[in-house]
Amino acid sequence: MNHSFLRNKKLLLVDDEPELLKMVTSILSDDGFRNIVTAVSVKEGISAVQNEKPDLAILDVMLPDGDGFSLMQQIRTFSDVPVIFLTAKDEAVDRLSGLGLGADDYIIKPFLPQELLYRIYAVLRRCYKEDTPLINLDGCTIDFSRAEVHKADKIIPLTAMEHIFLETLARNEGRIVTVDTLCEALWGDNPFGYENSLNAHVRRIREKIETDPSKPVSLITVKGLGYKLNTRK
Amino acid sequence: MKSLGKYISKYLVSFAGLVLLLLFINGIAFGWTFYGVVTKDHGDLSPQNMLEEAAASASLEGISKETSERLKNNHIWAIYLDMEGNRVWETGAPDEIPEHFTVQDVAVFAKGYLADYPVFIRNTDDGMLILGYPQDSYMKLPSNYYSLRSIKTFPFFVIGILAVDFVILFLVYYYSKRKILKNAEPIITSIVTLGTGKPASISMRGELSGIADSVNKASDIIIRQNQARANWISGVSHDIRTPLSMIMGYAERIAHEKSADSHVRQEAEIIRQQSVKIRELVQDLNLVSRLEYEMQPIHKSPVSLAGLLRSYTAELLNTGLSDEYSINIEIAPMAETVLFNCDARLISRAVGNLVQNSISHNPDGCDIILALDCTNKSIFLSITDNGIGLSTEKLKELNEKPHYMESTDDRLDLRHGLGLILVHQIVDAHNGTMQIESEEGKGCKVILDFPIGKGS
Repeated sequence: MNHSFLRNKKLLLVDDEPELLKMVTSILSDDGFRNIVTAVSVKEGISAVQNEKPDLAILDVMLPDGDGFSLMQQIRTFSDVPVIFLTAKDEAVDRLSGLGLGADDYIIKPFLPQELLYRIYAVLRRCYKEDTPLINLDGCTIDFSRAEVHKADKIIPLTAMEHIFLETLARNEGRIVTVDTLCEALWGDNPFGYENSLNAHVRRIREKIETDPSKPVSLITVKGLGYKLNTRK
Repeated sequence: MKSLGKYISKYLVSFAGLVLLLLFINGIAFGWTFYGVVTKDHGDLSPQNMLEEAAASASLEGISKETSERLKNNHIWAIYLDMEGNRVWETGAPDEIPEHFTVQDVAVFAKGYLADYPVFIRNTDDGMLILGYPQDSYMKLPSNYYSLRSIKTFPFFVIGILAVDFVILFLVYYYSKRKILKNAEPIITSIVTLGTGKPASISMRGELSGIADSVNKASDIIIRQNQARANWISGVSHDIRTPLSMIMGYAERIAHEKSADSHVRQEAEIIRQQSVKIRELVQDLNLVSRLEYEMQPIHKSPVSLAGLLRSYTAELLNTGLSDEYSINIEIAPMAETVLFNCDARLISRAVGNLVQNSISHNPDGCDIILALDCTNKSIFLSITDNGIGLSTEKLKELNEKPHYMESTDDRLDLRHGLGLILVHQIVDAHNGTMQIESEEGKGCKVILDFPIGKGS
């Protein structure tokens, strides 16, 4: 899925370490994010959310004038902005209290830039839908807003299940999605007993999106694990 | 150890008291048993008294009717001899008692018996009074006399009393021993626990509460020290995280910087890889110390291990696995449906550490297989590689040598890595067992065996 539209989103970083703020800012701007706001305390963080109205807040837990958990609670009184915690506190209790507050993710330092970007995109994609969500595959294009596949001048409609299946894979483009995650998305259940249904869906989807369904290049089976969707940039 | 002294004193004093009480009871029992016999031997029916009484009323003419009646009532016969040895009169004398006695006869019965009747003699002014008691009523000794009954009872009495004393003393001993053991047992158990470096707490009343308090204090100190150590490790690992983020971040940026020299990029990639290793170490160290000091809460919930393995493997492949390595997953159909009550993050961490071990011990690459199988009682998770394996000595060392967190040996080369000890702890926290099978050149297989079903 093309995430250029996500790069227009405004991000707020709150961390008391100026060096870290500088590094994360450069990681984000290198990847194309243009609207980045930073703050170094709870107080600054609150006024930044009020004045800048960011689309995503990335908060440290330990701040000089309070903690990130209470900062999030204060933000929630006037804003529903998605929140990611980025912290050196790795204990399960902290992680659970962060996620328990309704945070969208909890990232533990130290982190690799690629991991950070992947998780920021994952949260943004979950929270903000693209106006015209199109993905280009080898030989076809999927239009999620209309639930259609455009292949060689033909328009093939997708069923609700196929739509969910492809959307789940598209959100993780190029990455393996396990059968567990897919069954959870399709039936809200564990994969046991759904093997045949899943295979049937895969077969029908391949007929719709692949040029040669017997030699799939977009919807790939990863033996024993799940599937992945290769897109064309 | 004042309280232990008090405790022992209390038992000794009560034991001594008991012995005194037994002696007293023995005395009473002795007195009570022999009182009757003794009063009989020396009371107003005693030969002494009877002789006196009979002598007073006896003469050559006869004996008073009253005394005669009294003698008869007590089955005592009497004869009276004059100076020549002739029987002047008798009252109740058996037939075998002769009419005349020679001096020799007198000399013989004067020792004690006349025709087997114990007799008692009293000389009067004009003759001699002889009282004959029933046969077997008295035993006469040259110097003194005792009743046969008392002589017969005495040994039984002594043995009986001793036996009763012995039984009472044994019961008291047994009871005391049990009580002391019962009181001391929690203390000993907790001292043994303290010996392993783990905290132990006991609550106790009575004389031993002082010792219990000391044990609890020692335990508190251990808890505080463990906590301080765990906090210290967690503090250090926390403080390393932010600077390490910077190292990892900039190293990755340089490694991907297209304008940079390829040599520089390669070196930056090495820094990135090594800093990822430091991250793993820091995370392992913190978790190991928290598990070691029981400060890590275990959040158990029913988890599909099949799903967990798939998601771990997918994540590993998604973040990128070098081409030298392959990872495959084999799940038995029966294991697919099993839910295991566990802390999913910890189990995933254990699997991750074992897979990373296979990867780092086989720099030239290997094929890794994650397998899951189960029976009604157990679920088996195995991590197999076809790499260089372990020599017999190395395998033995791995199973026997302590980890450096538990070792006091200065030789670092005798200790093995943090990753494996963490796996051990996680397996322990789930009541499981870990087994390593390996042969040099034939790869390595680690099997984790967890009990499932009720209570697990």
